[in-house]
Amino acid sequence: MPEKSIRDMNRLERQHYSLAARTFRATVMGAILLGLAALVFGLGLYAYALGEQCVAEAFNLSRTTAALMEQTVDVGPLAEEVITRYRALPEERRQEMGTDAYRAAFADITEREDYRYVREFLAAFRETSEVYDIYLAAYDRENCAIVYIADPEEDEAYVCLPGDWESVPEREVNKFLSWDGSGRLYDIGSTEKYGWLATSGVPIKNAEGEEVAFVLADVSLTSIAGRMKSFLLRYAITMFVLVNLVAVFMTRHMKKTLVAPINRIAEAAKEYIRDKQEGKTDIDHFSNLKIATGDEVENLALLMADMEKGLSDYEENLTKITAEKERVGTELALATRIQADMLPNIFPAFPERPDFDVYASMTPAKEVGGDFYDFFLVDDEHLALVMADVSGKGVPAALFMMISKILVQNYAMMGRSPKEVLEAVNAQICANNREEMFVTVWFGILDLTTGTLTAANAGHEYPVLKQPDGDFELIKDKHGFVIGGMEGARYKEYELKLDPGAKLFLYTDGVAEATDSADALFGTARMLETLRAAQNEEPKEILEAVDRAVARFVGDAPQFDDLTMLCMHYIGKEPGNMKDTKEMTVEATVENITAVTDFVNAELERLDCPLKAQMQIDVAIDELFGNIAQYAYHPETGSATVRVEVEKEPLAVVISFIDNGKPYDPLAADDPDVTLSAEERKAGGLGVFLVKKTMDAVSYEYKDGKNILKIKKNI
Amino acid sequence: MTIEKTKTGTALTLAPEGRLDTVTAPEFEAAIAENAEGVTELSLDFAKLDYISSAGLRVLLSAQKRMNAVGKMTVKNVNETIAEIFEITGFSDILTIG
Repeated sequence: MPEKSIRDMNRLERQHYSLAARTFRATVMGAILLGLAALVFGLGLYAYALGEQCVAEAFNLSRTTAALMEQTVDVGPLAEEVITRYRALPEERRQEMGTDAYRAAFADITEREDYRYVREFLAAFRETSEVYDIYLAAYDRENCAIVYIADPEEDEAYVCLPGDWESVPEREVNKFLSWDGSGRLYDIGSTEKYGWLATSGVPIKNAEGEEVAFVLADVSLTSIAGRMKSFLLRYAITMFVLVNLVAVFMTRHMKKTLVAPINRIAEAAKEYIRDKQEGKTDIDHFSNLKIATGDEVENLALLMADMEKGLSDYEENLTKITAEKERVGTELALATRIQADMLPNIFPAFPERPDFDVYASMTPAKEVGGDFYDFFLVDDEHLALVMADVSGKGVPAALFMMISKILVQNYAMMGRSPKEVLEAVNAQICANNREEMFVTVWFGILDLTTGTLTAANAGHEYPVLKQPDGDFELIKDKHGFVIGGMEGARYKEYELKLDPGAKLFLYTDGVAEATDSADALFGTARMLETLRAAQNEEPKEILEAVDRAVARFVGDAPQFDDLTMLCMHYIGKEPGNMKDTKEMTVEATVENITAVTDFVNAELERLDCPLKAQMQIDVAIDELFGNIAQYAYHPETGSATVRVEVEKEPLAVVISFIDNGKPYDPLAADDPDVTLSAEERKAGGLGVFLVKKTMDAVSYEYKDGKNILKIKKNI
Repeated sequence: MTIEKTKTGTALTLAPEGRLDTVTAPEFEAAIAENAEGVTELSLDFAKLDYISSAGLRVLLSAQKRMNAVGKMTVKNVNETIAEIFEITGFSDILTIG
């Protein structure tokens, strides 16, 4: 396997590792291995057969020779003479074999008639066959030697004269001497003198039928090896040609059936990637491949086509899913807004009510949460306050919050007491609460006339109250069970008397449980501390102070709970606390009467004042402001203040005309006699008289250097 | 203020619009003075008048006194507010309202 990826290879390396090159190499290697195996096996068989043949030829030749020789000559005397002389030789003489001295002992034998005959006989047979030599010899078992008797060899260097002996392996001696006459008698051995030889032969008998010697034929195996060499050469050449032919053919076949289709798949993949990067859709490179090889490559191509289609379907789905997700996201954002809009969030919430002020805020943590506050007037005298926290988060909590909020408000508007409201809401929610959600609620109703706060607590945080002469303190009220937690839960109701100026602070656990980066809680103690530091502020400022304190405390730590708070300032009905007051101060001139009239009219229109009362008030303004303009500072000029105050129950406006001019009580003058005739009438005095008659109350006082004339008109 | 004037012989009709108060009364008084020469019959049409204050009443009183000497003066189309003011101040007895 290569050490680097195909992408890092140059052209030559790629070629080297290509499938074609590999096939070629594998084929060549395989064929060579196979050829070698065949060669070893074949050559073995061939050598064996050749050897067999040679042995058979030698054996048959020696047998024929022996048989014919037995019939024509008795070799017994010759053989016995040679053996006898050989045996008679002392050991040391025998070791001198080959020397002239040694041969002299047998010299006369070569002169014998039968020796010559035998030698010629053997030479004749040797001529007609391919054996290396055929000769007469005997075995000396004791010395493991072969003793030559007659050898037809002509060459002086190779000829074995009678009495010459050679050592032979004991195996050969035993084999020949103990032969039982069955099969071919032969032995193969190596000699220094003749190389590899196969010696075969049969015993020959004398006239008396005794085995006296052996006719032996030698076949040279070295010549067989020579023949095999030429065979090997031809084999190798043929093999080389054939192997190359097969390898080339295999490579071509491989290229056609495997490499080309794979390259087409690779090409398709390349185009697929390119098209994908260009953002094209409807890509069908794999589907158009049409590879019909019927094998794994076709299967691969089909699978790639399936994958291409699958991917394109998946992409289509993904687009749909993304669009769907966006839609859900938008709807969630809308849900959050609707939820936020459900809570009263326009402040001041009750600008026409001078007797109380309420401010609330909800800072959502991350997603749609379940906190909510609420406040509403049950009737003109009763203000309901709600602070609640729904278990869980997200859309379920938001839905649950909606239900809870509406139920609380509905039951409250029916005039029920807090305890009854909570019990009724609990019953309603428990009736259908398969999700087992719950909500903690603090609910109170403040009687605005008496300052009596009636409240009940369904598992919510303690409210915090500040009486005008005290500090913000927790009211450790009795907690009932959470709403939605248990059917038939009972809630305890308690009453608190709020003095005018009292402030009530409601909140959810998001305030006390805000955590900083070290997981420390903001805590009730810090909350109280913050509240007390801001306790003389108005509700809006108090909530902002808490908000700031919490934000400073948590720093960058992510918040998981909404921050929801409400603060109510009970002002009461004391005149000094009249809040709904507007005033304007202008130069006291006749020209400014219109401006003052417009200013007052704007207030009157806001109160839906009847047209007739408005006109009477306008006349009064004309009379009174006109008087100030013409007489109060005469002959100088000065400014005058007109203050409009609204009173409830019954609805009335009180308008004060204040100037720093000469002290003058217009009410002190006598009323004009309206029964007089035109001629008897004076021009003055009618204005103030008109005002007295059309207004419900008119009063005058001189205080701190100011003329203060007040008129009141019920509307 | 807008005052519509109609003169037929010695008969004069004045129809003021809006309010007859401290601001507008001098204007209305001037309008009467300018047109009253030789007039024996002065008619005041208050159909388009919203209300009248004591300053207006003063103008009406002096006009009534003047006309009493040379002819007559009538006031017509008086709205409720103005009628009440006339009632309270006794002007309903002084003026000829029709």
